[in-house]
Amino acid sequence: MIRTLLSLIILFAGYMTCCAQNKEVLYDFQEIPQAIMVNPGMNTIYNWYAGIPFISGIYGEGATSGLTVNDIFAADGLDINQKVRDRALNSLGESDEVNGIFQVDILNGGFRSQKNPANFFSFGMYIEGYALNYWPKDLAILAYEGNADKLGQRFDLNDLNASGQFINVLHFGINRQIKNNLTLGARIKLYSGIIDINSTNNSGYFETTSGQNNLLRNTLVSDMRLRTSGLDALLDANDNGSSLGSLFTKRGLFGGDPGLGFDLGVTYNLNKQTVITGSLLDIGLLYHTSDVTNYTIEGSASIEGVEVILPDALSDPNADFWEDLVDEIEELIPFEENSKNYVTFRPIKFYSSIRYNFGKQGEPISADCDCDIKSDGGDRSLYYLNSVGAQLYAISRPRGPQFALTAFYQRRFAKVLALKATYTVDKFTASNVGLGMSLQAGPVNLYVMGDNLFSYGNVADSNYASFQLGLNIISWEIN
Amino acid sequence: MKYIPKYLLTILFCAGILGSCAEKQDFDQLDNLDITPTAEASILYVETPEYLINQVTGINFYSQTFNFDAFSEEFFSDNVLDGVITYELENTTSKPLDITFEFLDQAGNSLDSENFMVNAAPTAILTREIAYGPAGRSLDIIRNTSAIRVSAANLGDNTSVSSLPNPTIFLRSSAKFRIRLK
Repeated sequence: MIRTLLSLIILFAGYMTCCAQNKEVLYDFQEIPQAIMVNPGMNTIYNWYAGIPFISGIYGEGATSGLTVNDIFAADGLDINQKVRDRALNSLGESDEVNGIFQVDILNGGFRSQKNPANFFSFGMYIEGYALNYWPKDLAILAYEGNADKLGQRFDLNDLNASGQFINVLHFGINRQIKNNLTLGARIKLYSGIIDINSTNNSGYFETTSGQNNLLRNTLVSDMRLRTSGLDALLDANDNGSSLGSLFTKRGLFGGDPGLGFDLGVTYNLNKQTVITGSLLDIGLLYHTSDVTNYTIEGSASIEGVEVILPDALSDPNADFWEDLVDEIEELIPFEENSKNYVTFRPIKFYSSIRYNFGKQGEPISADCDCDIKSDGGDRSLYYLNSVGAQLYAISRPRGPQFALTAFYQRRFAKVLALKATYTVDKFTASNVGLGMSLQAGPVNLYVMGDNLFSYGNVADSNYASFQLGLNIISWEIN
Repeated sequence: MKYIPKYLLTILFCAGILGSCAEKQDFDQLDNLDITPTAEASILYVETPEYLINQVTGINFYSQTFNFDAFSEEFFSDNVLDGVITYELENTTSKPLDITFEFLDQAGNSLDSENFMVNAAPTAILTREIAYGPAGRSLDIIRNTSAIRVSAANLGDNTSVSSLPNPTIFLRSSAKFRIRLK
């Protein structure tokens, strides 16, 4: 089952990659405690909050560029072979990608320091999984069409760029209002890698040319590797029928690959109504040391079939030219396996925003209390009914950073309801309209948000979709 | 009452977010997906200089059987659909030659053969394509081939020497086969 699933992932991840991971609706949505996870320097307005375990933050996202599920699988009566040829092989480039990611908060909470109310601490644990792959253009053409009648055409092995990771993250953050107009935040993350599979930074090519002696010459220059950690244990557990849950728990709770990361964030009030923010997330790495199996194909060889050049070939009447050829290739391009530890870097995310607040509400959401924190200072967004602004997002990717630009409008309805609408342009879509809602019913906070809503009429035809929801208990009382 | 619009908004919002749908997709189409690349590579290259031919008395100056397992590899033999084998003979020697390619099974039985009569130089390069599969000879020949035997007979004398530089008989061959990956 798992092998089949992995095969399907790898196959469809002939066309997969990570990760947009842009949480533009959540970003700086201060009524929602989980917004601190995308900016540890966000202005915090609660005394404490506690996420309901396992449902305080559920996030899923899928994105494709250049191709949708509907393009291939629509029940439109067209021949799938023609659709694959026209819409994938002849259309997609090596920078096109598919990605999928999920995050589930296991625990999430935060509290304000009693000793120094300017400090707000947050903590928790979440699991995250993603799969990524760029469209392996040349390899797809080679697999679909072969090398026949393509003399001189190089098939670039660098087109294979795929990875997937499943980790558990334990985090602790501090958020401090430094001055009336400045809040800083930082978070430390302890990663525990459960499964990692990656094949990146490959190089080389396969080429067929006219032969020097024979009709054709096939040349392979290869520097390729597939690195795995935790995969063998997963496959063994599946084969043995042992519990995957206990395996995941063991590897997720620091029995897997250790890692360390940091988040940084800032909020700065330019004036009473204008705020700028920024954050850097997942500055970190994992050191894969447990259950590591790597595969490499390194070397180069050119062959023109079995070559018999007389009279030299007569020197050994028992020569097996075919076996000699096979042995020579295996020697020149050995397929090897090792268990060397390796490092993977987390994809660093960058957010920034500028927000203009207007339509004064009169009192902040936490104004009922006798606040020790600088209630007259900090981010005054919640004093206002409306906010409008722009956000810039970037993520480091194997083939260079990806960017997204978002315009947003946020509207608050007393202390009960807040809505945020976003319009985002990125490599996946230029018509991404998202909506987020935070509903406060007494101490209970429910939030729901979705992305690229215009595509919801036919999700299968969407290049991008994400959702996030969660349930928290929030105490606004301070002191 | 004043909250009714907010509740309406909430309901509409949730309905919008959660009420997504998708047009009907037919994933059974995957069954109809054909992935049948055509691969090509050289098979066998033999070169024999004229002086060597002159050294051998008798007509048959060369005969050798080469182990060749590429076609009988399980993946290939199970999935090959059709293809073409191309032969090219270039003779710059002063002798007319009779060259035979034979495909042999594991027991050494001849499954198929191709014969070439090559004129003495100067003569054009001889090229021949043999199709296998539905439009040609039986694919079983290819599937069961485990060795190739090349035999060459000198139809001329053992003394003449071509005026061309480095007179040699070149035997070249390549295969181009379509394979079903799915």
